[in-house]
Amino acid sequence: MSRGNRIALACIYWAFVLYVFVPLILMILMGFKDSKFIGFPIRSWTLDWYTRIFSDAEVIQTFVYSVIIAVLSTLISVAVGTWIAVLLEGRKFWGRAFIFGMMVLPALVPGIISAIAFRIYARWLEIEPGMGAIIWSHAVHNVPFVSLVVMARLSTLPKSQIEAARDLGADPLIAFLRITLPYLVPAILGASVFCLLLSFDDFVRSFFLGGYEPTLPVLIFAMLRSGMSPEINAISTVALVLTAAIGIWAERFTRKAKKGLT
Amino acid sequence: MSNEASVSNAPDGLAKTEGERLFWGRLANWGPYQTLMSVVTLSPRRQFFILATFPILWLLTQHLGPMLQMLRVSLLDAYPIAPDVAQEFSLESYFKFFGDRIFWMPLFRTLIFAAVFTLSTLLITYPVAYFLARHVSRKNQMLMLLILLIPFWVGEIVRTYAIMILLGNTGALNLALKWLGLIDRPIPFMYTSFSMGLGIVYLTALYMLLPLYSALEKLPKSYNEAAADLGAGAWTRFRRVTLPLTIEGISSGCTLVFLISTGFYATPVLLGGPSTTVFAETIAGFFHVAGDEWPTGAAFAVIMFMVALLITGVFQRLMKSLRKGDSS
Repeated sequence: MSRGNRIALACIYWAFVLYVFVPLILMILMGFKDSKFIGFPIRSWTLDWYTRIFSDAEVIQTFVYSVIIAVLSTLISVAVGTWIAVLLEGRKFWGRAFIFGMMVLPALVPGIISAIAFRIYARWLEIEPGMGAIIWSHAVHNVPFVSLVVMARLSTLPKSQIEAARDLGADPLIAFLRITLPYLVPAILGASVFCLLLSFDDFVRSFFLGGYEPTLPVLIFAMLRSGMSPEINAISTVALVLTAAIGIWAERFTRKAKKGLT
Repeated sequence: MSNEASVSNAPDGLAKTEGERLFWGRLANWGPYQTLMSVVTLSPRRQFFILATFPILWLLTQHLGPMLQMLRVSLLDAYPIAPDVAQEFSLESYFKFFGDRIFWMPLFRTLIFAAVFTLSTLLITYPVAYFLARHVSRKNQMLMLLILLIPFWVGEIVRTYAIMILLGNTGALNLALKWLGLIDRPIPFMYTSFSMGLGIVYLTALYMLLPLYSALEKLPKSYNEAAADLGAGAWTRFRRVTLPLTIEGISSGCTLVFLISTGFYATPVLLGGPSTTVFAETIAGFFHVAGDEWPTGAAFAVIMFMVALLITGVFQRLMKSLRKGDSS
């Protein structure tokens, strides 16, 4: 590889880094601007917008609501997704390809179609729009991500361990709980964090299945439709810092777990 | 190798404390549990049946169910039904789509946009993935990839808003251009296909980057060296070795990005204008008004999904034949 090539590619990489970071940095800066008017240049700075949103009961309530939805939907996705992964990985049976196809389906359906399909189905099941409906739609949508991650981990489990446990008299359930499940923990934790973020960030499903109470992305969307304001920047920045921090923490955590186990 | 792994793994599977061991022992010897297990594990067939029942029921009712229900509603003449009115089978909703330009035009536009955005994402991220996989040491690779992951953990709405601030008339881009003396008056970037494209590429780039990166990373460096030894120049090596061997990554990245970018709703609403109405907005319109428009919305969603699947199917077939053609 020539040196010129290498430098050109490095420039493209750093330009890409700028492309993905600059908009977010500008958005964060704008939340500290001492004026209601969104736009550059910023002449004086303030923390007023942050004190305002932290004392706004509606914002706090929306935030808590989104977190509850994320946690509950993640619990369902992880339990179901792991079960499906255990069924599919390393087993050959009639109709496996069809079951695998059904498993990945929610991840492939474009957002808007998935949202209205859930909306129609919720109506048919007579689930009222609101918290339950949102949790259900997020849970179903996130199952494939859990299953795929857990299947990848499961495929590296040495079969000899299970056989040894069975030889020593463990029944299949105890062998699963004491050998397989502990081995899957890093994958399950990684997938959980991913599900939490997907649910917390999700807009389209929350928008079509929500009742009167908005989730955080739906609230930001509604505020944006009536005009930009630094308050939105402050809310978005809090959401951004939180999601990025959880993401980085999980990344470090899963990498450590991988190092410890292989 | 696997032996070594299992040795270091062993402590994980073993009971860590005496108490834990006692618990498992007691469970295994507990009468009701033994009865239950003897019933459950009577035959491999029964075991499989118990393992498989719940997942299959879940997949049929939760993953497939909503799609089938949407298909059913799209074939009805009214939904949700008013009491004491009979529902009837009807293809009217599908005919409606072809009958009016304001319906099929947005779909056509969505598909063109999605194709253009997918291609742009590919062209932008391929060099980035190539650089990471080929020119960066193993240790730095993870760090430099992690840097790129951070913005992608941030939600769709927040990132869309960030693009609005970048591109607005008093946004950073216009300010920078004015400062450089390139323009006198701000360029109206917002509410155009450009702002929408920039936003959607921003949202989908990672779904392209990761498959490309893993395809490039798997490719042994020796292939390129061998080609170089045989006298192939840099461009030839790229075209004849690297590109054909990463087609799988390109194919799955493009499929993913294409499907995702047809489905965006909030981003086109916030970043697009009247001339960039996408099909997602058309579909959503039927769900904001009174209930009897639902069959039309459902039919439109079915049409869009079918067309998107057809396009990605043909695309993947094409990529596969390309790969075969090159290796023979």
